[in-house]
Amino acid sequence: MEIAVIKGKKKDNNFIKTREVSIVKKGSAQKKEFYQYLTLVLPAFVIFTIGLIIPIFLAFRYSLTSWNGLTKEKVFVGLDNYIKMLSDPYVRSAWWFTIRFTFWNVLIQNFFALLFAVILDSGVRGKKIYRTILFIPCLISPLVTGFIWLRMYSNILPAILEFFGLSGSFIKLFGDQKTVLSGLLIANNWQWIGYWMLIYLAGLQSVPADLYEAAKIDGANWIQRFRNVTIPMLAPSFTICIVGITTGSLKVYDLMVSSTQGGPGRASTSIIYLIYDSAINGRQYGYGSALSISLIFALLIVAVIQVAVLKKREVQA
Amino acid sequence: MDTTERQEKFTWKKGVVQLLMTVVAMIFIFPVLIILNYSFKTKKELYLSNPLSFPTSFQIGNYQKAFKKLDMLRTYPNTILYTFLSVVVLALLCGVTAWAIARCHHKIFKFLYIYFIVGILLPYQALFLSIFIVGNKLGFVNTRHGIIFMYVATGISFGIFLMNSFMSTVPVELEEAAKIDGCSIFQIYFMVVMPLLKPALATLVIMQAFQIWNDFLMANLYLSDKGLKTLTVSIQSLFSAQSSDYTTAIAAIVLSVVPIAALFLSLQKYFIKGMTVGAVKG
Repeated sequence: MEIAVIKGKKKDNNFIKTREVSIVKKGSAQKKEFYQYLTLVLPAFVIFTIGLIIPIFLAFRYSLTSWNGLTKEKVFVGLDNYIKMLSDPYVRSAWWFTIRFTFWNVLIQNFFALLFAVILDSGVRGKKIYRTILFIPCLISPLVTGFIWLRMYSNILPAILEFFGLSGSFIKLFGDQKTVLSGLLIANNWQWIGYWMLIYLAGLQSVPADLYEAAKIDGANWIQRFRNVTIPMLAPSFTICIVGITTGSLKVYDLMVSSTQGGPGRASTSIIYLIYDSAINGRQYGYGSALSISLIFALLIVAVIQVAVLKKREVQA
Repeated sequence: MDTTERQEKFTWKKGVVQLLMTVVAMIFIFPVLIILNYSFKTKKELYLSNPLSFPTSFQIGNYQKAFKKLDMLRTYPNTILYTFLSVVVLALLCGVTAWAIARCHHKIFKFLYIYFIVGILLPYQALFLSIFIVGNKLGFVNTRHGIIFMYVATGISFGIFLMNSFMSTVPVELEEAAKIDGCSIFQIYFMVVMPLLKPALATLVIMQAFQIWNDFLMANLYLSDKGLKTLTVSIQSLFSAQSSDYTTAIAAIVLSVVPIAALFLSLQKYFIKGMTVGAVKG
């Protein structure tokens, strides 16, 4: 998003320039060119509109009906689905799970990603090896990650603990409603910390070295340099990581399919898991669409607030 | 005296950090190593031997079973085909669209950029239901072109964003020279600009290839025909929580991750470039 803004400014300048030129040029050639450019954009526009924009409007339309996905006619029920949603305990628990999952992910992933990036940037040996190792989990499909950790918690880690004469039952995190969130958080963070670390690392490497030198000469210690030079210079990375982790966590689904299947009970049913459950398995397309619309709203509101707040900080920095 | 002391303190600190990072790396790599180890173990070894020990002999039985159960002679080519065609179409579309948006300074193109970019904030997972319904109406369900269309549609936003940020690396002077020589806009893009965008296109292709290769939700919804399934979808059938024979599933995991991991390791440079776009420039 931030690139969009800056690019927009650049384009403004170009815009003025081309305008000056266009006075000299013939108008019809300019027009012909404009239509040629438009043809270049058209295929992407059509595909994108069919594949993503029309579904948004369709979802809204279906959310006002009691459609079950099979019948021809879709009975209009107004806002009934939304009203039902507000009092549905399943919806409440799914949101509660998704929000907690997102909150802890943003906190944990940002903290460790930044920490590891700072360490790798400080000139440890074998930086490339560490970087590759931490990144490997990102290559695995979240579906597979879920299964790997299911086996880790239920078979592999208990076997290892028992081998050392310890009781391995406490590590069965997916088996208990109270610990299933921690279990999923460990799996999810294991998978994604390396990804965000790379983004912070790229941000750190773009900080000009003379800024640190200047701060050092001014007598700033390690902590002051980190707070007053590194953090402000990392502002664009913060924006990307925070917005990225939030959207990524709000849409979590694959991870649970092969591990907890939303359980035990409903303790790890995320909002998308619930949409899938009520629409595909429960044949409530209308209700599922209403849930989709509420998720889209949540995503947009959170993203807009985050970008606005973080952009403001970027500008101040 | 003073300097040596400081130096010693310095290296001591560094040693701690180095040690800490090594421990972290070991924790991160541990599940990967244990998966590799278990994939060679027989069912008997699973229960009788020390979980950390190496298998007594490298059994490839699990791999043979996994290969058969995943129907890999079909799912491998399928996954490769969908991934390859989707990324080729994405590369063609996103490159040309981002270029047109960057070069034509009309209000409409500014609007179009924002129109496309909104898709980054709206993951298709949130809309999968109505995406499926649209696809169903267009006859895309259970077809190869249908799933490829949807991968392209859901990848366009990020692709255009990525290509747009690379556009400043293309010198406008070259294009203007081509224009004076009488090239049309299409010729300019395909003969002058596209060759210059090669590194950017490589980045785009790799980033999207990962997404599509690992996709589960879309492929699972769209492809129920046995002959059309992808690796990630068919692997799920091995993932039942109750089954005690999970070494086959673990071997299947290794088989599904190896190609994409190999791709990453050989093209790491491009991948990292693609990820970090925007993090640096602001």
